[in-house]
Amino acid sequence: MKKMLTAMMVVFVLSFALVSAQDEEATKEYTFWIGGHYTDFTDYNKKVGEYNLGNEDFIPEFKGSYRFRSGEYLLNIDGHYYDEYNIAANYSQRWADRIKGDIYYRSLVWQEGQDLLVNLSAREEVLDEEGNPVPGGKMLTHELQDEGADYETHRKEFGGRAEVLLSRKHNVRMMAAHRSIIKTGEEQKIASGHCFSCHVVSKSAEIDRRTDEFEIGLQADVNDFTFGYKFGYRNFNSDANDPNAYYDAARHPVRGDAGAEFSSRQIFSDTTAVFGTYPSTRKFSHKVRAKGDVGKGRFAGSVSYSTTENRNTDLGSTSWSGVAQYAMPLNKKTRMIARVRGVRYKTDDPFIDLPLYRDGRPGPTTNFDFIRYSSLDRNDIKGSVEILSRLNLKTTVSGLLGYNVIDRHDYPLADGDDQQTGKFFGQVKFKYRNGLKFSFNAKYRMEMISDPFTSGRGLFEAPGRGVIGPESGTSFVFYWQREELRYQDITTYPTDVHEFDFKTTYRPDNKMSIIAGLKGKYDKNGDLDSLDVEHFSYQPNLVISLTPDPKWAMSAGYTFGHYKSRGPVTVALFDG
Amino acid sequence: MKKPMQEPGGHAAVLRIALIIGVIMLLGTVSSANQPPPDAALVGNETCADCHDEISEAFHRTIHGLAYKADQSGWSVSCESCHGPGSAHVEEGDPELIINPANTDQFDGSETCLNCHKTESLDDWAYSHHNSADVNCSSCHSVHTTSEQIVRKSSPELCYECHTDVRAASYMPSHHPVAEGKIECRDCHNPHGGSLSLTADDTGRELCFGCHGEKEGPFVYEHAPVNEDCLSCHTPHGSVADNLLIQTEPGLCLNCHAMHFHATIEGVEGEFVPPLAPERASLSTHDAWKRGMLTKCTQCHTEIHGTDLPSQSISTGGNALTR
Repeated sequence: MKKMLTAMMVVFVLSFALVSAQDEEATKEYTFWIGGHYTDFTDYNKKVGEYNLGNEDFIPEFKGSYRFRSGEYLLNIDGHYYDEYNIAANYSQRWADRIKGDIYYRSLVWQEGQDLLVNLSAREEVLDEEGNPVPGGKMLTHELQDEGADYETHRKEFGGRAEVLLSRKHNVRMMAAHRSIIKTGEEQKIASGHCFSCHVVSKSAEIDRRTDEFEIGLQADVNDFTFGYKFGYRNFNSDANDPNAYYDAARHPVRGDAGAEFSSRQIFSDTTAVFGTYPSTRKFSHKVRAKGDVGKGRFAGSVSYSTTENRNTDLGSTSWSGVAQYAMPLNKKTRMIARVRGVRYKTDDPFIDLPLYRDGRPGPTTNFDFIRYSSLDRNDIKGSVEILSRLNLKTTVSGLLGYNVIDRHDYPLADGDDQQTGKFFGQVKFKYRNGLKFSFNAKYRMEMISDPFTSGRGLFEAPGRGVIGPESGTSFVFYWQREELRYQDITTYPTDVHEFDFKTTYRPDNKMSIIAGLKGKYDKNGDLDSLDVEHFSYQPNLVISLTPDPKWAMSAGYTFGHYKSRGPVTVALFDG
Repeated sequence: MKKPMQEPGGHAAVLRIALIIGVIMLLGTVSSANQPPPDAALVGNETCADCHDEISEAFHRTIHGLAYKADQSGWSVSCESCHGPGSAHVEEGDPELIINPANTDQFDGSETCLNCHKTESLDDWAYSHHNSADVNCSSCHSVHTTSEQIVRKSSPELCYECHTDVRAASYMPSHHPVAEGKIECRDCHNPHGGSLSLTADDTGRELCFGCHGEKEGPFVYEHAPVNEDCLSCHTPHGSVADNLLIQTEPGLCLNCHAMHFHATIEGVEGEFVPPLAPERASLSTHDAWKRGMLTKCTQCHTEIHGTDLPSQSISTGGNALTR
């Protein structure tokens, strides 16, 4: 890939040199700005924001741009150096509509705070011989092996895109694009062992992740149609050393004995194992598209196929998708837009081969091997029709009706059923615009949903499931028996959604604008047995913008948000 | 807690919307935008420059000027490529007799700009939300500007002019670095396209994985909402909760995993499995609920987006996303 990037750079620079050497009427524009910034953190924490490191120092800052123009050729270069982690640069050139290309680089730093895990110290309460409550029983402990660590992710992204006109006759164009994202730094990784009393360990872990994307495509006009094909490739890889942690030897959580019994219930214990790893993945995609005039209207459609592979486990996933859209005038005042989209995902279903539960122990054993069916597997089909009417040059109204069905054919629900969600949706919009001086928009949207997405086996205590007894051959009631009784599917997704949005813009002159708006949303699920789920929010806002001169723009805005929820758990705690 | 297979209700609302659409189709007529008469002829750029000298002088320095050939040989962009034949306008001096793309009614399909701009990113314009919302090319672009980017303002300020709620969200404690200028609106949105779900490789899920590839999988152990929709848990423009979560932990998680470790309040209907050791358990009590509220789920379920590594317990199939 380095060779490819080098070649692209050479081609760009050579072409620039060639043009600039030949042309006599070239124009050149330069800008250069130098400055700096200083931060003082006396008595303050170093963190000043997620994307702004607190470097207590004076740091010089540079900005610059160069623009070269000669005949049909145009070149732009600009860049900004803020500090070593925040740099941006762009290089773009074009030769009329024949060749277009750009290369860019940008970087940022993302700073995370450290979770001190201080909420994780706890122990059960038991009664002593005199009946007084004393600490005892199960414990929850934590260990911060990286106290005081700074967690920073340095993100660098660079890429380029080139488009070349191969033939004017059929507007044959070829394009190629590349993008790489590199993330380095350190992050907090947490491992938890619960073979004995729960023990949570935090440690620093290296970040060294890279995503590379390539695209190459071709398009051409044939008669009134434009056809295109695009091939895409994406590769993700993590080269960081995998963190590891020691997982305690299994024992009874209160008495501390019965190690053999409890270790026979675990896949692993008393061992050091890696955790928090990232598999290498790669994706290939193909897309064919077509657009053009059909009858009185305009058509656009595409078919895509992609495969994604987890290279660590050989797991694969495929997707097919098709999109078709058709817009046509019904008469001089009215237009119709029809949209259909279908997606099919299918993921490999691996067999999970587990150790025998209680293998080697007296009494019953249980085989928990299973096939992991993917929650991604689905057919998702959506269609809608929108009618728009321009009542006059100032007023537009529109209405839309649509239906979406998602058939999750392998989704593992507790009752064993597939899950199929149906969503009927509609919206109406109104817009009035009196030139640039005044405009008013209003929109209402509703959705009615049957069987919304459900958390399979998400509920932990299903009521009314009866009483369980010991397994045959033992006096034990195993925890998994209790879990089986407790699990039940649960959803808090809404079955009814209503949204509204009003906005008014007033521009007394071309130097000032005032925007006032109100958005709101109400949704509920009234199909639940024990508790209705409701959410309501509204957001009024006001923005005033002043542009006294094209070089000056000032704006001030205020947005108020009100959110109200009613559901199983709706406590809004701040953890940031 | 969910009744099986509920049929959608509220058919009255459907009928109301259908009725409104019907009314829309019956409403008034469209006034024509500025148009040259059918017999108008081309006059050439020199004629235009006689009156519009300021624009004409700057034209060769614009992006469109790059494609102009003074001798009209071969393919070129001229004033009349966008404004249409100008003879009637020249003779009468009437601005109504020539196309002004800034006022052109995109609605009727006379998409002047699209006659030349046919790249893939513009495939969806005719069906896009912006087009449906009566946003014209000139709402965002200044065609006669001499700058490289012909948008009226740089991102994100241009987008914030209309999307004021997004501007507010982008200044919340957790946000993508749009306000910091590290990414732009168009890194995720195609302003010329339709909704994100128009194509499979542009669904919200695929879009997010373009930058967050480590979360795509496929994994051996999955978390279903990751496959369903990233927006089940995240809000992309900004949030109060860390990591762009729509709600803080554990409240967010307990919406779908209610009563995990008894994190619920007493009084919920039904009989529950009695604890194995009643003297130690605190089933569905206020104390248990309060304790649950001090939990941050991802301190133990760290691999919440999926993992290939099994968790410890055999009886759960290793499926606890703790490793």
